[in-house]
Amino acid sequence: MSAALLSVRDLSVAVNGAEGPRTLLDHVSLDLSPGEILGLVGESGSGKSLLCRTLLQLLPSRALSVTGGTAMMGGRDLLALDEAQMQQVRGAEIGMIFQNPSSHLDPVMRVGEQIAEGLRFHRRLDRAAAKAEAIALMGQVGFTDPPRQFGAYPHEFSGGMRQRAMIAVALACDPKILIADEPTTALDVTIQAQILRLLMELRESRGLSIILITHDLGVVAQTCDRVAVMRQGQVVEVGEKRALLAHPRHSYTRALIASHPSMPVDDEADEVDDVTDPADAADPARVVVLPSRPLVEIDDLDVRFPVAGGLFGRRRSFSAVAGVSLQIRPGETVGIVGESGSGKSTLARAMLGLTPVSDGHVAFDGLSLRGQPGAALARIRQQAAMVFQDPFNSLNPRLTIGQTLAEVLRVQGKVAPAAIPARVEELLRLVELDPALAGRRPRQLSGGQCQRAGIARALAVDPRLIVADECVAALDVTIQAQIVALFQRLVATMDLTLVFIAHDLAIVRHLCTRVVVMHHGRIVEEGLCAEVFERPREAYTAALIAAIPDIDPDRRLIAPPPALAV
Amino acid sequence: MSAAVSPKRMNRTLVAGLVLLGGFVLAALAAPLIAPYDPIFQDAAARLQPPSWAHPFGTDNFGRDILSRLIFGARVDLQMALIGVFFPLVIGTVIGAIAGYLGGIVDAVLMRLIDIILAFPFLVLMLSIIAILGPGLSSFYIAMALVGWVSYARLIRAQILVLKNADYAVAAVSLGFSRTRVLFRHLLPNSVAGSLVFCMSDAVLVLLSGAAISYLGLGVQPPTAEWGIMVAEGQAFLSQAWWITLFPGLAIVLLAFGFSMIGDALGEAMGVHE
Repeated sequence: MSAALLSVRDLSVAVNGAEGPRTLLDHVSLDLSPGEILGLVGESGSGKSLLCRTLLQLLPSRALSVTGGTAMMGGRDLLALDEAQMQQVRGAEIGMIFQNPSSHLDPVMRVGEQIAEGLRFHRRLDRAAAKAEAIALMGQVGFTDPPRQFGAYPHEFSGGMRQRAMIAVALACDPKILIADEPTTALDVTIQAQILRLLMELRESRGLSIILITHDLGVVAQTCDRVAVMRQGQVVEVGEKRALLAHPRHSYTRALIASHPSMPVDDEADEVDDVTDPADAADPARVVVLPSRPLVEIDDLDVRFPVAGGLFGRRRSFSAVAGVSLQIRPGETVGIVGESGSGKSTLARAMLGLTPVSDGHVAFDGLSLRGQPGAALARIRQQAAMVFQDPFNSLNPRLTIGQTLAEVLRVQGKVAPAAIPARVEELLRLVELDPALAGRRPRQLSGGQCQRAGIARALAVDPRLIVADECVAALDVTIQAQIVALFQRLVATMDLTLVFIAHDLAIVRHLCTRVVVMHHGRIVEEGLCAEVFERPREAYTAALIAAIPDIDPDRRLIAPPPALAV
Repeated sequence: MSAAVSPKRMNRTLVAGLVLLGGFVLAALAAPLIAPYDPIFQDAAARLQPPSWAHPFGTDNFGRDILSRLIFGARVDLQMALIGVFFPLVIGTVIGAIAGYLGGIVDAVLMRLIDIILAFPFLVLMLSIIAILGPGLSSFYIAMALVGWVSYARLIRAQILVLKNADYAVAAVSLGFSRTRVLFRHLLPNSVAGSLVFCMSDAVLVLLSGAAISYLGLGVQPPTAEWGIMVAEGQAFLSQAWWITLFPGLAIVLLAFGFSMIGDALGEAMGVHE
């Protein structure tokens, strides 16, 4: 580490709030060697992003200020540069890519022009040379037809391609350091694997140093050389990846590793007694003796949405779910997995009668939504409930948690009015929330607390079926693990059927007994969790499973790149 | 959240607005106690008197005390602003909410109706309605309600369109809540912030159109004291007696100022940007 490219020493940042200054970054020290990938891990609010923004003097608010420390790069202190000097560093020496490529690309500017813009500003190339250089770059980051795609706008690309465009913009001026702030969080696993592979190739071919901010230890294990764990503005642990993952010294690091929904834990065991039937490996109490009548019965379901085709244009439609048949029996825990756009949320909403069915049948508890829509809907509203992805957006911001729960109880009418306050308290205890929080509004709670309140609201219906739609996707990993544990306990102790929708296969494997894999609106594979994950029959399922970044660095997620054009 | 707006400055705007508005309300309530003269008493001996100790704001061509007329006029003008905003707000909110929530044909029909009303110039439409109904304050209120609701309906409709796809609205439906409950208990309370802010600046507009209608002789009838009429009556004497026109004009401006400051402060507090 003698020839560090970037050396941060005792960096502190404070915010001047109404209650006096508060420290957000506390004496952070880090080194980055040439050609190294450093992982910055920690929960939201731990200061990962702030640290990187501070290096570029891009503090998000005027109330923030650097209170001490240095960040030496090439003999200069980045923190002491003035704005004009800083402009030369940004882009030219340190490039940055962000979590959400759609909001960081200019929507009305051609993608190619955005890449060429940096070339013209920093390297003073003329229009033609900049265009040629930009097209070459687009080829390097994996665009299939750069000359044509140069003139396309960001909305014409998928999320993964936009992230590639962002990387090209950041690389345009040949920076020495690339800061990647959660670059794959918004992407599907298979796309994530491609982007991570691209970053590693760029490191190889350009000798680029990368600071990779992420909350996913799997991503770190697969890509980084060294890891820094941050918590509450401090670096609690830095070390070589393997050493740190194998022997975490700080208790917080241990908690992080423990809460990673890792695929391999019971994997080795399975490999040993591979001969036994996988069904036996699952909890026998839940698998055997299933009642014969399914709670939810879906038969050849089609859900189509009209696509706007102008006033006189022909009406066209988009098929979100096509020809899906599925049976869910009482007491089952079923996971539905698939990438975004695979139709899993639409399927869930159709199951609960929240979206009109174009074709096919949905029946709940033997009542068909087509045959007896009134009775079926009434039954669903009485016996099924949903938990949503965004914990803040799924609760009415104007009502307190207590009011929200009490309203459900009043409308459902299953609890006597006088008993409602007691029931509210009971529900909050059930989801491990302090009943004193009943008087708070969603905005005064954390994401995890809000999600617990959302689950309590679902439980207020006293449901037989809960449909959870990506309900942990927006939460930090440690909170994710807690919510999953809560679901496990609820399913075990109550007579509950759970449909758990997620793009995170590891969590589904952890929680569910049966899994349904969806792709482009169809079910590609279905079966017991252990079986599907152990021996996927379809290539798509296998690809999905292989794309999960494993926390064990030796279980390579990324197969050696299949000869990519560089 | 944003650090750019200091809560202190917002408070100052709000306090200033409330003080202005409160002053007018107090004056209106206590008019008989604080007004030095009877607002319609004509003193033939004291016509067109400039401001003096006896008549701080002077007298008009009938010898009536301007200050007393201003104080009593506050009653009429405040009432106009209040009622003139209240009915459009309520009607527009309900119609806009229903249009946005139900969508489809209901929405299409209501939106075309709004387009038709907006196609006419505001004041012309007001004047024609009042002309049909006959002059007077109640005609003014009816005309205001018929014309003014469209802005509120559009505001609320836009909000409802966004919010009805929010997770908590879907959640409410999935929990078996009735449409009415979802709309009026969950969606509406979350969408009125913008309208409440707008209704403060709308109050200014109502006040000015009320004054304008009275000025044209279609609103409040003389000899009742009302600021718009006072401006109209003073116009003939502008060169000899500026005070007849100036003080009621100032009163209108000050009250409008108060409303808009409250509106600004509310907007910042609720995070609404017009």
